[in-house]
Amino acid sequence: MRRTRVRIAAGAVAVPLVVAACGGGGGGDASADGEITYWLWDANQLPAYEACADAFHESGTDVRVTIEQYGWEDYWDQVTTSLVGGTAPDVFTNHLSRYPQFAAEDQLLAIGEYVERDGIDTSIYHDGLAELWVGQDGQRYGLPKDWDTVAVFYNEEMLADAGLTPEDMAELDWNPDDGGSYEEVIAKLTVDENGNRGDEPDFDPDNVDVYGIGLNSAGEGFGQTEWSMYAFSNGWTHTDQNPWGSEFNYDDPAFVETIDWWRGLIEKGYMPSFEMADAGVSMMEQYGAGNYAMVTEGSWNVSAYVDLEGVDTGLAPTPVGPEGERASMFNGLADSIWAGTDEPEAAWEWVKFLASPECQDIVAEHAVVFPAIEESTERAVDAFAEKDIDIAPFTVHVDEETTYLAPVTDEWAEVSAIMGPTMDSIVSFSSDTDALTEANEQVNALFE
Amino acid sequence: MTVATRSPGTHGPRVRSGQKAPRRPVNWGRVVAWAALIVLLIVTIFPFYWMLRTSLSNNRALAAEAGSPLPADLTLGAFERVLGMATTEEALAEGGSGASVNFWLYLRNSIVVATVVTIGQVFFCAMAAYAFARLRWPGRDKVFFLFLTALMVPPIFTTLPNFILIRDLGLLNTFAGIVLPTLFMTPFAVFFLRQFFVGLSREIEEAAMIDGAGHARIFFRLIIPMAAAPITTLSILTYINAWNDYMWPLLVGQEENVRVLTVALGVFRSQTPQGSPDWAGLMAATLIAALPVMILFAVLGRRVVNSIGFSGIK
Amino acid sequence: MATQVVPKRAAKASGAVSGRRRRFGDLRVALVFLFPAALGFTVFYLWPTLRGFYLSLTEFSLLGDAEFVGLANFERLIGDPLFWNSLRVTVLYVVINIGVQTVVALALAVLMHRLTTSVTIRGLVLLPYLVANVVVALVWFWMLDYQLGVVNQILDWIGLGRISFFGSETWAIPTIALVNVWRHMGYTALLIFAGLQMIPKYVYEASAIDGASEWRMFWSVTLPLLRPIMALVLILSVIGSFQIFDTVAVTTSGGPVDATRVIYFYIFELAFERFDFGYAAAISVVLFLILGGVAIAQLRMLRAGESDLS
Repeated sequence: MRRTRVRIAAGAVAVPLVVAACGGGGGGDASADGEITYWLWDANQLPAYEACADAFHESGTDVRVTIEQYGWEDYWDQVTTSLVGGTAPDVFTNHLSRYPQFAAEDQLLAIGEYVERDGIDTSIYHDGLAELWVGQDGQRYGLPKDWDTVAVFYNEEMLADAGLTPEDMAELDWNPDDGGSYEEVIAKLTVDENGNRGDEPDFDPDNVDVYGIGLNSAGEGFGQTEWSMYAFSNGWTHTDQNPWGSEFNYDDPAFVETIDWWRGLIEKGYMPSFEMADAGVSMMEQYGAGNYAMVTEGSWNVSAYVDLEGVDTGLAPTPVGPEGERASMFNGLADSIWAGTDEPEAAWEWVKFLASPECQDIVAEHAVVFPAIEESTERAVDAFAEKDIDIAPFTVHVDEETTYLAPVTDEWAEVSAIMGPTMDSIVSFSSDTDALTEANEQVNALFE
Repeated sequence: MTVATRSPGTHGPRVRSGQKAPRRPVNWGRVVAWAALIVLLIVTIFPFYWMLRTSLSNNRALAAEAGSPLPADLTLGAFERVLGMATTEEALAEGGSGASVNFWLYLRNSIVVATVVTIGQVFFCAMAAYAFARLRWPGRDKVFFLFLTALMVPPIFTTLPNFILIRDLGLLNTFAGIVLPTLFMTPFAVFFLRQFFVGLSREIEEAAMIDGAGHARIFFRLIIPMAAAPITTLSILTYINAWNDYMWPLLVGQEENVRVLTVALGVFRSQTPQGSPDWAGLMAATLIAALPVMILFAVLGRRVVNSIGFSGIK
Repeated sequence: MATQVVPKRAAKASGAVSGRRRRFGDLRVALVFLFPAALGFTVFYLWPTLRGFYLSLTEFSLLGDAEFVGLANFERLIGDPLFWNSLRVTVLYVVINIGVQTVVALALAVLMHRLTTSVTIRGLVLLPYLVANVVVALVWFWMLDYQLGVVNQILDWIGLGRISFFGSETWAIPTIALVNVWRHMGYTALLIFAGLQMIPKYVYEASAIDGASEWRMFWSVTLPLLRPIMALVLILSVIGSFQIFDTVAVTTSGGPVDATRVIYFYIFELAFERFDFGYAAAISVVLFLILGGVAIAQLRMLRAGESDLS
């Protein structure tokens, strides 16, 4: 059970889906040829990238791409063991928190030269995305493919039952002391087995029927969809600088009080216990079954939630925090080339195509994620709108510049190894938030 | 537990209920003892029933009928999914992932691995045991002792360097990489067979020698037939162990074309299509993984049962 | 080890016979017969053992070359709370697992011995042992699920309240220990059962004539005569129990918090997921030493048991 890991993609299929990439095309006089393998983890995005591969093959290249997909929980084990074993894929989807370590171990191909040679314009991507993939050594290890932010997903029917409107949801504020109007809404959405709501005096926190807000995991040291939006809006960041911070802030009072408030929701009966979150039914299923009235989730999961049967899902932006602004983590993925590939030119052809408007427009039309290229994002917004999804709660962060880059740092695996258990034990109430002080010391010791 | 006396031997409680003992008092001690035994048997069997029950359920209906002793919305869908006989739409409709899983392939891989390991290991170890038990050569006991010390080495200790070795040989994700470390010997197997061969009568062997039989002939024609029982026992144990091994194939056999059932199950487990695992599919897969060994057991069960004590104690 | 007595005796006997033979006896034939096993032994046991010791003295990410760092890994290990935690958790597991397993298996064996001769029952009891650890882990993971698991359904129904078996720090190790008790109890019971069958019937008959109850017979006859077998069973199972990995790997992955980060799993994680191969090797050296100590202590115990029997 890898629930302690940060869940980026809930829609995940572990067994490799080998997509026969035997497209038409052929001929052409592109400089590179060869067969390459490409790995990704999000099953929701698989059809989009299959379509990209088809377009790639039809573009006259001699490169043939085979796509394999593993579920998130399995993906990084597969990547690390295949790197260790020398059998890694030529190109794979990379994550900000992971690539510095791979780069430090000389496992990623530096592609700066290729970018320069082929005149790739990195200014077409959203601000900041392209720079994230330049390592501390000044080398580029990937070209951006998408970005994501976090929002509140709610059950429209339950919202109405609680006497609330979507307009209310758009104007929530939050603070770590009493939770602000955000907590009031969560309380109202919570219903105990006798039908009492969370803000009523007779409410029984030990026998809750519908929790106001769902819980996915304790968030490790990352907290992307769990607690990062609260902590950021409380004036906190993971590290002293980003990227390449070397001093972590897990003992910062702004963080500690955020976590105290957040896990306090469990005691109040507004959020399910860690045990429930850890059990064999996922947050999405619980939400789909009507056990949670709202959840905080990432943009990559919008379609999956909207497609749930029997539930109408609305979206709201994250609440405005004590600093007077909303906040969301801004994370971006990229495609990296394995240093040990036999076909660097072919791999580069494919990475270049993945990062091109052509492919990103295709991805945009599938309405699963926001492509890294600004213009393609516009298309994605339209594609979502066609599915009747207003994704403004996600893009608002970009428009209002309230995004916080995902922490990029060396040693993330080690940080996770410390923070994962620590956060688990705090959220399960087996330790107090004091534990963060010691954990932070351990984390910082990694960088000495 | 206060237990009433019981006359030993074959009589006692089994005395025919006839005119002789018309109102024999109920032997409460025995009743309690039987009850305890039955409880233990139920605990042993129940999980198997639950595997079956879940595998015959519709995954989507499981949550609603979590406590029902019967399959929830009876269907063979889980088996069809797991064996790659269902379409993506059918799989998704019953709460599967829609990913192509093919347990036939993993089943084949497991059979290949377990069979090759068993044949190789038992045969080579029998040869070694013969050298240790029936041949005379200088340093024999020292070498045997060296072999025995390997029993003390925790497997993980050799697993790490062996992984590097297999990698450097370029054998990752090949059947050779999976079987090699246990193909030639395990200290236990050598030890086990040697104990047997030592006990065999020397007279027949010497008679054969006088008739001019070579060692190869003696080994194949005399020793192996005479030790057929322990060799069978060892083969079954080896087969079960090879079939059930997880860590080593997890390390060296991740790729689908050589992935064995245990590894496939672990992967299947971490598959969370839009959320929670496909429990029905998972249980169907575990049943399939358990079935071949169970069949082996059904055929050779009596021998296995009777040999257990033997293998442990001799 | 009981077995070593035998080879020595055999060797002596054969030595007398081979007086007239050539000095090297059957060496040439022996080499042929021994070759495959010796090859396997050298390549996959001896060499990796030596290499394991060497690697424990290096910093090695598996990706580059191993770099000799002396005892640095062992120094790190002393100050590594996760290592000590993994050791503590593993020992806790072994104690619960072996403790419960031995008692239950003994009970099962005695019950079978005194009540029935049915091979079918003995076969049923052995069933869990035939199934892979991974399968056993998954089945129980499902049956003990907090929300959907049948065991929690029953607990809820009785009114005891649900237990997060794999998800709570308190329960996780006992749960995993008991799951493996389930897999091994039948096998262990059959080992003990075989020992029981070696106790002559007349011993029981005699004590029954003396009017001893079954309960008393168990304590005064069965248990004392069973001691050497129990010692042997313990040796087999304790060493195996330390190797707990599969169940953890497919259920909790070391969580919640570090409650099930047993030593095998910690080594595995360090070596293959965190590029810390040298350190992983150092921990496995320590495990090697611990298990060696356990084995020697148990052999002593077994010898004591043997002398008791004779």
